[in-house]
Amino acid sequence: MTLKQRYFRITNLLFLCLIAVQFLPDKIAKEPQSAYVLWFAAGVEALVLIASVIIKKPQGLSLFLDTVGFLFVLLILWMLATAKLNLLKESLFPPLGRVFYQFIEDIDKILINIRSSLGIIIQGYLLAAIVAVPAGLFIGWSARLGNAATYIAKFLSAIPPIVYIPYGIALLPTFRSVSVFVIFLAAFWPILASTMSGVLNVEKKVIDSAKVLNVGRFTMLFSVILPSALPQIFIGCNQGLTVSFILLTSAEMIGARDGLGYYVKNYSDFGDYTRTIVGILVIGIVVVAISFLFNKLQQYLLRWKR
Amino acid sequence: MSKIEIQNLTVDYTEKNKRFTALQDVSFSVETGEFVSVIGSSGCGKSTLLSILEGINAPTQGSILIDRKPIQGTGTDRGVVFQHYSLFPWMTARKNVAFGVKQIKKNLPKSERLKIADEFLDKVGLEEFKNKYPSQLSGGMQQRVAIARALAMDTDILLMDEPFGAIDAKNRTVLQELLLKLWEGDGTEEKKTVLFVTHDIDEAILLSDRIIMIGGRPGRVNKEIPVPFARPRNRAELVQTREYGEFRNELLSLFYSDIVNKIGGSEVVL
Repeated sequence: MTLKQRYFRITNLLFLCLIAVQFLPDKIAKEPQSAYVLWFAAGVEALVLIASVIIKKPQGLSLFLDTVGFLFVLLILWMLATAKLNLLKESLFPPLGRVFYQFIEDIDKILINIRSSLGIIIQGYLLAAIVAVPAGLFIGWSARLGNAATYIAKFLSAIPPIVYIPYGIALLPTFRSVSVFVIFLAAFWPILASTMSGVLNVEKKVIDSAKVLNVGRFTMLFSVILPSALPQIFIGCNQGLTVSFILLTSAEMIGARDGLGYYVKNYSDFGDYTRTIVGILVIGIVVVAISFLFNKLQQYLLRWKR
Repeated sequence: MSKIEIQNLTVDYTEKNKRFTALQDVSFSVETGEFVSVIGSSGCGKSTLLSILEGINAPTQGSILIDRKPIQGTGTDRGVVFQHYSLFPWMTARKNVAFGVKQIKKNLPKSERLKIADEFLDKVGLEEFKNKYPSQLSGGMQQRVAIARALAMDTDILLMDEPFGAIDAKNRTVLQELLLKLWEGDGTEEKKTVLFVTHDIDEAILLSDRIIMIGGRPGRVNKEIPVPFARPRNRAELVQTREYGEFRNELLSLFYSDIVNKIGGSEVVL
């Protein structure tokens, strides 16, 4: 790549636009926190410059820069619509600086809530995966069991897991245990179903290859069937993860005393929409981060696939 | 005493509620250290025969004896190379070979298994590709790994089901010569008993001590023909001799008469 292709990008231009917009006069009462926008944008631009130096692949760099460029456009529009032109209702659409300020102000509280939410997700989800994958392997492998189990799994997985919440509250002592239970159910069915169909779709040739090597039953199941079915198992795991997040945040809005869903619900009840927006953005960032890590894990475990 | 004895083997199979007979009353034997090719046109039941020997399918009638004992399913006395999918795509070449060794020698420590794997991958000329996954290897390289695995497992018997059937002509020649070299060894070890399925007449002549022609529908043994050429064989020299041409023509006429009979006409151009 030439220097021009590397450093003279529209993303950098958008950054300059953003700075320019920031120095336009405010239409609403002057916000002391408006400097946070500059700090944030400058931080992101610093990342852009670092990326421009270190990312080797042109496509990889373009993807990153385009994403950031898109972010800058959103920020500029947000700034124009709120502080600069006052087009939106201020209480519902706080100016950008106030959102950043609130985020930093609340960072301890937010981290506690993230920890609470992730704790529940990880417990429920891991429990589901640990039970569902071996169960799916055994059921899928014994074909006769598989047929009956497929229908039962179809029926049970058709029930939206959120309806278990009231029953779970009656059944279990704490909100936390109810959440873990519901997330377990939510993730269990898609993982079980995808594992079973993964097992049923393992090519006969692969099984024959293992048979002629005289593998034992355990080796067949865990060293041959499991890796062979893994691409499909991951489809269910992805699905389970998405549903888990939807459920957890919903559950937290219904009855929790902490967690990210609670944070959003609680502050919108009090009409504090700055914090509501902070909460929504944090949830977005957390979900993106988890999906990113999950994808990395998937890429690593399926690195043998072309 | 024969290493492998196939006695009055009949194999039926059911497809879409219809019953077919794939093989009828097939009998022949293979001696210890002998290289025998089973040749026939596609659909003659030669692969079915091998699947019974592998232990993947069971015979309807008749039996197969190895060292005078009837076989029951798969066994550690037989190594197998298929045309496709012998290797596990999620294991590197090295792991694939070591995995095969592990199934035979359960108590061997991992480092020893990997050492054996490396040794045999060297033998098939893949020392630089040990840590590649099958999807990163060409078809010919994949078959080299499969052969390395079968040899590393050190079974008495090798069953090969058209192992070079999907390889381009040039690489096929190279692989045939490699197989021959590895099978003949340096004369210090006992040769493995090989049953090799193919539809390539030249391949069968070059490699085997004896050729079994299967034909008809259902498949039967049409003819057993010893290959009269001395070993070690040199392909380039062999194919130029008059004897080779005559022998090849004899086999070809048997081969085509079967195809013509089966299709039921003399206008077939192949």
